[in-house]
Amino acid sequence: MKNVRVSLRRGLIAAVSLVSLAAATPAIVVWAADTAPAADEPTSVRLSPSQFRQTIADVFGTGIVISGRFEPEVREQGLLAVGARKASITDMGLERYDELARNIAAQVVDERNRVTLIPCKPKSATAADDACARTFLASAGKLLYRRSLNDGELAALVKVAGDSANGLKDFYAGVGTSVANMLVSPNFLFRYKFVEADADNAGKFRLDSFSKAQALSYLLWNSTPDAMLIDAAESGKLHTKAGLQFQVDRMLSSPRVEGGIRAFFSDMLGFSDFEVLSKDPMFFPRYTIRVKEESQEQTLRTIVDHIVKRQGDYRDLFTTPNTFLTRALASLYAVPLVETTDNGQPMRWIPYTYPEGDPRAGILAHASFVALHSPAGRTSPTGRGKALRENILCQAVPAPPGNVDFSAVEQASRELSTARERLAAHATQPMCAGCHKITDPMGLALENFDSSGGYRTTENGAQIDTNVEVSGVKISGAAGLAKAIHGDPAAVSCVAKRIFAFGAGRLPLATDVEWNRIEKAFASSKYNVLSLMREIALSDLFYRPQNIQLASASGK
Amino acid sequence: MVVRKRVNRSVAPLAAAVALFLAANPAKAETQGYVISWFATATYNLDFKGNCPEDRNGGQIAYRLRTLKQLGYADDVAKAIVQDEEHPLAKEANLKAETRAVVNGKPASIYNYPEAVPDPNLELSSGKYAYGFDLDGKTNPNDFEDPDTGLKVDNQLWRAVGCTESFTATPPDKPYYEDLTWNLMVDSAPGWSLRISGEDLSKDGPVKIVLDRITQHLDRNAAGGILHNMTYVIDPSPRSHNEFNGEIKDGVLWVKKGGNLYLEGEMPYHHEIALENTHMRITRQENQEIAGYWSGYLNWKNWVYMYTARPVNGEDTIGIYYALKKSADADPDPKTGQNRMISATWRMEAVPAYLADISGKIVATPASASQPLQKLADSSGE
Repeated sequence: MKNVRVSLRRGLIAAVSLVSLAAATPAIVVWAADTAPAADEPTSVRLSPSQFRQTIADVFGTGIVISGRFEPEVREQGLLAVGARKASITDMGLERYDELARNIAAQVVDERNRVTLIPCKPKSATAADDACARTFLASAGKLLYRRSLNDGELAALVKVAGDSANGLKDFYAGVGTSVANMLVSPNFLFRYKFVEADADNAGKFRLDSFSKAQALSYLLWNSTPDAMLIDAAESGKLHTKAGLQFQVDRMLSSPRVEGGIRAFFSDMLGFSDFEVLSKDPMFFPRYTIRVKEESQEQTLRTIVDHIVKRQGDYRDLFTTPNTFLTRALASLYAVPLVETTDNGQPMRWIPYTYPEGDPRAGILAHASFVALHSPAGRTSPTGRGKALRENILCQAVPAPPGNVDFSAVEQASRELSTARERLAAHATQPMCAGCHKITDPMGLALENFDSSGGYRTTENGAQIDTNVEVSGVKISGAAGLAKAIHGDPAAVSCVAKRIFAFGAGRLPLATDVEWNRIEKAFASSKYNVLSLMREIALSDLFYRPQNIQLASASGK
Repeated sequence: MVVRKRVNRSVAPLAAAVALFLAANPAKAETQGYVISWFATATYNLDFKGNCPEDRNGGQIAYRLRTLKQLGYADDVAKAIVQDEEHPLAKEANLKAETRAVVNGKPASIYNYPEAVPDPNLELSSGKYAYGFDLDGKTNPNDFEDPDTGLKVDNQLWRAVGCTESFTATPPDKPYYEDLTWNLMVDSAPGWSLRISGEDLSKDGPVKIVLDRITQHLDRNAAGGILHNMTYVIDPSPRSHNEFNGEIKDGVLWVKKGGNLYLEGEMPYHHEIALENTHMRITRQENQEIAGYWSGYLNWKNWVYMYTARPVNGEDTIGIYYALKKSADADPDPKTGQNRMISATWRMEAVPAYLADISGKIVATPASASQPLQKLADSSGE
């Protein structure tokens, strides 16, 4: 098995570097090197870690454990999903993917799983059975490659499985070899956008139906297309208005849409930064590893509940008193949360509603925001304000100059007890003052939350003042800030653009007529995010190839 | 805070030494909730030489050497066995040591038959200080003096164990083996709750103290301590329900002559806390936690059982058995005259918590959370 894998892997390294795998998709026009699309149009997008995990869960079940690190992600235009279009796989990264693939494949063919995952029984468990291997590899491969395998691909995988099975005298080990090979294939690790001549509009081009299915599936589900969607792509129904609408509505009504919502907001809110977040346990003992993990889940549960289950107004996420807590999170927020399960049971998620006017209402008051954008030992109104501007309002904040003296900000003193006082001292440096006017007021409104997300009214013994002025409007505290964000048109415009970019890998043009129609429809729906996703998924804009010139199209 | 200070506590007047119990948290007719975050035999050993002038008990190594020599091993062989757990004779020697009791002519476990082993005659504590209370209302030569209050103290448990190695700690240090055991079990064993109710807990006056078992184990914070402000459900069983009337005086909460206390536990060491003639003294720390002492009479054989039930306690168990037996000071057996109870003091620490009854109703809130939100303290440092 090892020899087979090594030789294949070497081949794959070369294949990855070539990127376009035309042989994998016959009869489809691919980008030629001299006809590269505009810079903002991705031709291949590496699966994100969350997409990798979700895809494996959807294809092989949630019982498959995926342990290991993925290649680093790159954030562009506020989203990792946009940065993924520039992501490649390094040699070391391929080693990691290879290890993951072997591990996953071993679990798939393990005695515990093979009965449910492999739809046929081999004639002998100790020898090759091409027919059974073909049945399984064709069905799994269709979901992993997001299209049906062509005859050549399938034959190659069946042969590898057979050779390996005979060599190892184990049918399942042989099949596992081919599963592992699929999992390190660029056809799995990358999503490609292929274009074809538009049969309905002479002289124009469109995404081919499989690329369309993938774009749709990863937008709505953050996962691979299911068999029905691939079938619709194969039959050409996805190119019809009715066919597309049927699939979009079917997918939006599926529970799997929760996966898409979770993935998008995790990306938009920058949750990948939690990987490197830590707090000083002596100052913030309530910020445990459990709380760190659960604070993300709190926000995602709140969002899913509000957007998917309640179909609520997106803007209300900033003010909603409804959330979900565990006892550990309740401890952080200093609120009671009764759970009457037996001792030793895992903590449950329990719905919680803050009393009216409580400053801890809304997702900006969650630890997933105020703790994520604070250093280990203190708050950072600048960091919080910057995150608000960039992540929530899609506004750009310039990076600080390289030679800034941060000492006034970082060190509390008797004269400078609060962050407000320290920032005021820091802002006396002329080169700093301009940008801090943009970021700090919003962040200072959240100063009642310490670095871990716990509520406080004093800092170093001094009373905290959370009254600020943002763009000429006076705001008081977290509740005031939440109301201001709720009413800011930039917030809804931002989330709309980001959702589009999450699926398309590029931002929409603000001047695009179709985009303007989508934005208006979003407003008409009272900022219902699922309605927005439907509009995007049904729009030509979402699938429209950008700046296409296909000199070699006919020659292909 | 008085319970954290290690010097000059012996003669300091109580009113001056202790911080106000709740002065920083004025509230009306409230019930504050806590969970016991640490619990152990109260120790006070700042002056070991003064407590144990002969210093002849030694620790685990000394005990093992003594035992092996008594069993007939030569000095150099005994040392080699003690120093090397893989020594060829170690297994046999350990078995002999643990079964050196003789019952009906056969070797038997010394833990099951302690009276079948001679009294090793451990040195008892002869120092001046021990934590506790005047339980019998009498003055007698065995009285200690409380290092915090300066009042006389009945604490014969301390006399029995005060010269053994694992009890050499002084707060905030903790007796090693009990600390170890607590830390092993706290993440799985149901905890204990404490409620304090009063008309105005910011002032001196009568209060009610209620102790219960809770249905959940405690949860730790990022520094390894116990999380503040968690919500726990009180076990509705009356078995571990205790109510005491107390008084806040000069900022210190006192319970005097509180009757019996019983808390069921699950830990190898503290499988139960059972006291008669319960006394308490509790003070608040600056971080909203509370700490204090519970005292009363306990069944000395139960205490020894706790001690021997703990794996690898590293002490002379038989010596401690006899030390307690000799030091027991209450409830004489009508037939033998042997006292069955011993005066003792526990040290407890507790952190603020929400407490709910089994129906989910909140019946106690943390001291900090009982204030209006605007009055919450700076949360850095809890």
